[in-house]
Amino acid sequence: MSEVRQPFLELKGVTKRFGQFTAVADVNLAISEGEFFTLVGPSGSGKTTMIRMLVGMDRPTSGEMILQGKVINDVPANKRPTCMVFQSLALFPHKSVGENIEFSMKIAGVDAGTRRKRANELLEQLRLPLDYYDKGVNQCSGGERQRIALARALAFDPQILFFDEPLSALDFRLRKTLEKELKDIHRETGKTFVYITHSLEEAMVMSDRIGIMREGRIVQVGKPHEIYNEPVDKFVAQFMGEVNTLDVEADGADRVKDLASGMSYAVAKMPAGFTRGNLIIRPEVMKIGKGAADMPNKVEGVLFNDYALGSRIQYQVRSTTTDMQWLVERLQDEPYEGGLDDTVAIGWRPEDSILVSE
Amino acid sequence: MAGGKAERHGDHVSWFRQPGVLAALPVSLFLLVGFAGPLLMVIGYSFMPPRTFSLDQAPTLANYVSVVTDSYYLSFVWSLWLAVVTVVLLFLICYPIAYGMAKLFGRWANLVTAAVAIPILISENIRLFGWVLILLKNGIFDGTMQTLFGVSVSGLLYTVPAIIFGLVYVYLPFMLFPLVIGITMIPDALKEAASDLGASRWQIFREVELPLAMPGIMIGGILTFILVLGSLAESKILGGQVIVMISDDIESAFTFAQNWPKGSVLSVLLLALSGLIVFVLFRRIDLDRIIGRR
Amino acid sequence: MELSASQRLTRTIIVIWTCVVIFFLYVPMAAIILASFSKQRYFRFPISTWTTEWYTKTLESLSVRDLLWTSLSVALLVTLFSVLLAFFGALAFARYEWKGRKLYQRLVLLPIFFPQAVLGLALLLWFSAIGVTTSWQTAVFAHMIWIVPIVVLIMSIQVYSFDPALEEAAFDLGASRWQVLREITLPILSPGIISGGIFAFLLSWGNFPLSLFSTGADQTVPEWLYAKMVSGYTPQVPTLGSLTMSGATVFLIVVYIAWLALTARSRRMRGRAAAE
Repeated sequence: MSEVRQPFLELKGVTKRFGQFTAVADVNLAISEGEFFTLVGPSGSGKTTMIRMLVGMDRPTSGEMILQGKVINDVPANKRPTCMVFQSLALFPHKSVGENIEFSMKIAGVDAGTRRKRANELLEQLRLPLDYYDKGVNQCSGGERQRIALARALAFDPQILFFDEPLSALDFRLRKTLEKELKDIHRETGKTFVYITHSLEEAMVMSDRIGIMREGRIVQVGKPHEIYNEPVDKFVAQFMGEVNTLDVEADGADRVKDLASGMSYAVAKMPAGFTRGNLIIRPEVMKIGKGAADMPNKVEGVLFNDYALGSRIQYQVRSTTTDMQWLVERLQDEPYEGGLDDTVAIGWRPEDSILVSE
Repeated sequence: MAGGKAERHGDHVSWFRQPGVLAALPVSLFLLVGFAGPLLMVIGYSFMPPRTFSLDQAPTLANYVSVVTDSYYLSFVWSLWLAVVTVVLLFLICYPIAYGMAKLFGRWANLVTAAVAIPILISENIRLFGWVLILLKNGIFDGTMQTLFGVSVSGLLYTVPAIIFGLVYVYLPFMLFPLVIGITMIPDALKEAASDLGASRWQIFREVELPLAMPGIMIGGILTFILVLGSLAESKILGGQVIVMISDDIESAFTFAQNWPKGSVLSVLLLALSGLIVFVLFRRIDLDRIIGRR
Repeated sequence: MELSASQRLTRTIIVIWTCVVIFFLYVPMAAIILASFSKQRYFRFPISTWTTEWYTKTLESLSVRDLLWTSLSVALLVTLFSVLLAFFGALAFARYEWKGRKLYQRLVLLPIFFPQAVLGLALLLWFSAIGVTTSWQTAVFAHMIWIVPIVVLIMSIQVYSFDPALEEAAFDLGASRWQVLREITLPILSPGIISGGIFAFLLSWGNFPLSLFSTGADQTVPEWLYAKMVSGYTPQVPTLGSLTMSGATVFLIVVYIAWLALTARSRRMRGRAAAE
């Protein structure tokens, strides 16, 4: 993939202020054609504001949004070659499925025959029965409505498709199915998708690249495994879920000292000029009991709780030296051999931990 | 760009430039000219010397004084009293029905709503006149009594009870519908919880239902009170001249007595009284929550 | 749903009470219809002779035709202008967030609480002050003062449940402002608009206090009925009254059926729950 080409969608210094409140602060981003890019962040991080500006529902206070070399700040939403799938889906309740899908074409003056053909193509592509054409949208299931919303957006033939957390209201299984379908559609159509969600897990399934947003700023951009294995700070690392976090300072070459317990741990790689920061160890890389015996880094504690988490078990261990509660996750077929209230050793390999600067 | 909350939700149509204000303009201008204007005129006239017909004279409080001295306050007293009685009666009559509509009738509730609402759309005069025909000497009720039992029940019309009956009849929907909205706002779960905690039927009503339905009760009560206060047709058609209500006095002052300032004074006092009550109500009610159920 | 014995008793009592009250609501209208068939000049019950001659007399009367024409003209114009003004007024009331909205809400509803007779008189003062002679046209203006706020209220109830995202989505899909209005906003809001129109028409059609003071030399049906009621009763009163009521009922039914027919398809799309 050549990097010399101009980015498909570029954001330069985009800022949005509402009176005293800054929702989006100086965002710079470059998105390639055909990419599936996801903006991830907690509520209030500015991602919704960001996407509304990209679609044309809000205008940036400053900065430029450039699509294929053209600045689109002043282009109204109905003239932009972009289309959004809304969180509430916003399907027109008084129109049929077919009429919803064809809406953009009808507006553009396409004749009925062509419209019908295209609508049928889309119904098929999105695995909806052809006889849904005349059905009322409110009579369709949640998953079907998602697909109708997507078909409607695709009928517009946009250059970029935006998604505003469309799956957040669905139950787990439906979400998992639709995540995969969305990925398939992305591959089939080859269009650029820009997606926002508060779930990093969801983003990791579907995205080519992820951007983490926090309080209006982009904190990190990268491929999913980069975000996961090389988070740039504590916030990004903790965004994935529960992790073990220690406040540490440098303690010699490739070693850090835990400020709470005073213990020293080995790390695989120390960033240049590291003085203080956080040592982050994900629960699933930790070993417990016999498995921890020959770990370079070890902690002793009391096992005070265990939770069954589907295919994994989560152990909660209270350290004997500090009051910190450690989380260890093992697969069901590698359980801890002892029981609750045992004094137990837990440990990890230096290369499995993540060290981030302050 | 000022606006804060307004922009966060409404800025998607940034080219409209505060659409709410633009949309409100036609109605606001219209009411300014047609409502505020006449109102100000009436207020102005109330300060003019009695029996004059223009606004360019020296202001005086003579009219306000004469309200007390010329016992025009009597019509106020009657109107207030009738309003209170009507509101109380309507509350007792409508509460069970409102409860039924909100909780019991299910799909039938819509039918009841339509049945109660449709008479509003038919002229008040016609409906009241129907009652005249019923209550009249040798009218429908009297005639039936005479034919069936040989008893005469004349003298029902042109009495205070007849007026009250007419007021209750005409303003029933205006108490009923707000009550329905109020009772709809009581979640069943709360009553069940109270019952679970040992409360009796009466206690549940007093401690849970009544307070929660209060917005609806207040709106219904105050709306009805004010409408009765300013009513005219019922006392005239069903009551003849047995009582004179405020609006009647006002009308007489403007027409027969040819005393515009006096009519204006009475109007101002009526409006001040109504306005005070409405103002107190509106302070305590969030219209968005009740009408929009948000 | 299982109910205890006392709950069932309560429910039965409430149902019976409701039926009784509804019966009483319609009794006077039945009385009017009855009286219109009585031959006698003054009303007496039981009715000795039944006839339809008063209907013939009323329908043939030129003055009655004038009355009907006046009432109709006023009501039609009131409906047209009220719906237009109130549509935007309702959007301002319930749809957009803007500074001053709470105050606007209270001020717009104020005329509803007003004694109509007093309002009518105040308008009379107003008209004479600005040198306008009252006629059926000024009555249109007078009616609207009271009716527009009511229509705003009715439409607002519908507007509150309107999802702004629908307009955004349409816009995003390429529609112009005008197309959004035509394809999305108006169709979805149409029940509220129709209800508002019905209320405007019928409230104007049957209005007395405002008409009394603002029609001047012209006269509407309710004015005439009232004048005859208090002095000079003739069976033409219940006759015209019955005709008016029937007219209103027919109007309601026709509009309702027309609306049902025109929106059958879109309501089917929305499913049963949304149709109410």
